[in-house]
Amino acid sequence: MDKLSIAIITLITCSILFFTPNESVAQTAEEPVILTSCGQSPGPVRLKIFMQRLKMDFEYNLMVTAKDLVKAKDAGKPFKTLIIVTGASLKGMGAAGVSIDDELARTKALIEEAKKQGIKIIGSHIEGMSRRSQGASSGDSSDEQSIDAVCPNSDFMIVKKEGDSDGRFTTISKGKDIPLILFELNTEISSVLTKVFNK
Amino acid sequence: MKTKSIIRKVLLSTAGLVIVVFAGIEFYQHRHYKETVVIGDWVEVKKLGDYFEGIQGSVNDCNVFIIEGDEPGATSLILGGSHPEEPAGRLAAWLMVENARIQTGKLIVVLSANRSGTTVTRPSGAYPTKYTIPTSWGGQTFRMGDRWSNPLDQWPDPEVYIHCPSGQNLAYVDIRNLNRTWPGRANGTLTEKTCYAYMQLIEKEKVDLVIDMHEAELQYPVINTIVAHENGQELATLVSMMLTDFEGFSIGTEFSPKNLHGLSHREIGDHSDAVSLLFEAPEPFLDATRGITGEKQLLEGKDEFVIKAGEHGLLFAPMDENGWPIDVRVGRHTSTILQTFESWNEYYPEKLIVCFDVPRYAEVIKNGIGFYLKNHEEADNKTIVFE
Repeated sequence: MDKLSIAIITLITCSILFFTPNESVAQTAEEPVILTSCGQSPGPVRLKIFMQRLKMDFEYNLMVTAKDLVKAKDAGKPFKTLIIVTGASLKGMGAAGVSIDDELARTKALIEEAKKQGIKIIGSHIEGMSRRSQGASSGDSSDEQSIDAVCPNSDFMIVKKEGDSDGRFTTISKGKDIPLILFELNTEISSVLTKVFNK
Repeated sequence: MKTKSIIRKVLLSTAGLVIVVFAGIEFYQHRHYKETVVIGDWVEVKKLGDYFEGIQGSVNDCNVFIIEGDEPGATSLILGGSHPEEPAGRLAAWLMVENARIQTGKLIVVLSANRSGTTVTRPSGAYPTKYTIPTSWGGQTFRMGDRWSNPLDQWPDPEVYIHCPSGQNLAYVDIRNLNRTWPGRANGTLTEKTCYAYMQLIEKEKVDLVIDMHEAELQYPVINTIVAHENGQELATLVSMMLTDFEGFSIGTEFSPKNLHGLSHREIGDHSDAVSLLFEAPEPFLDATRGITGEKQLLEGKDEFVIKAGEHGLLFAPMDENGWPIDVRVGRHTSTILQTFESWNEYYPEKLIVCFDVPRYAEVIKNGIGFYLKNHEEADNKTIVFE
């Protein structure tokens, strides 16, 4: 093997080590958890099902606000982890009587309060490409806005691999140095939660 | 000059008359075509009018097929043909009636939820009036239908349709839309009375789970999905995850909006104890930018103009040269029903519904729908029901 080949292989290896989303380092979080949505998609229900089965200490509130985090803290039972599932649903937002702008404002305040309290923030995208560009009207960027509002501001991300098929979350992970946990099958959510929350 | 004018008028009138006669014959044949259903001796057949007198003898006094298991359990109502221009829902229900066996619980299946809508196609839509599913004995023909009840059965429409009981204003034509008239009215229009009859059925049969099968154009955002009332959100989500993981097709979930009235997934859940779900499969035939609206397009689900719409980012479901064949659309529905039963059994182990002999997605695609349809020509007359 000549020197040039060795140099190329070394360069590729270093690239992989330094720029691939870091899944080898175990990401952990603690209960109690507050599970919510940015965009009112049904994605959080998927996590809720597995969190129930794992008998986790969590609260499911799609409209939780920064004030609720403060109330929980004042009541002596602060949340230790905030999971925000991204992806927008027009039906969901319509049912909740909110717009994407309302959701972005609520999320911004929520993240600010979580950071203030030292609550770990997990940004998540669960529903794959059908809750990305494939599922959005032409010109409707609400799915992407919800991702931008949450994922770059999270401590780590849990994302369905198919939803990252365009590298959207990998790019955020590399650019912001935010660990990214990818899963392929929905049923793998259970093992992801088990590892993260040491269940 | 005057003679020429008279001749022209006579010729035009004759041509008009010929068109009226031929069209009239086609309309008559469409409206009165009898579809066959071949049932096993374990299937009981009732009429919708058995549950509500107000619908008895009307065009919507449709067949209600009941298959009961040996062991008591949950009761599920499967609705095909709420929108008869969405044939995958009717055909999936057909496969259920002709094939399903129930070990535990009770299965109630309706093939033509809005039977009036199966007797007409969309005015000016140039739809085929019938379509034929290939079978080993040649083929079985079904009536193509419309989204709305036949105007011959319910007319005129109001300027604004005010939904009962919410009072919400809806499009005038939707007073003939079975999926905008839930929960119905005993003294309402034909379509409202039909929904009322189903609500009576749900109450009298103590139905636990209602599944309403539909198809949607690819330019409509609610597609390839299960729309769930809040009482069925977790069930639908589990079904969606299991199907997407293990059956090779992707299906999502959507919450039923609380402020959009008249739809089955909203009103059945609000006005009964039943869990209410609605399934949507993709049907390029319904897309506004489709090409020729023929039987071939209806069954093969291929359309170059819909593909072109996809290239411009106008679709909510993938579309390529393979299209969305009817076998794929029906298979999605049968697998989603079966997975719903399996997931239901996880949530309600004290009230099971165990169904078998219904083909799943991969089997329907491999063998074709026709493989599972029964040949009425070889069947005993006692086992044939006309739909």
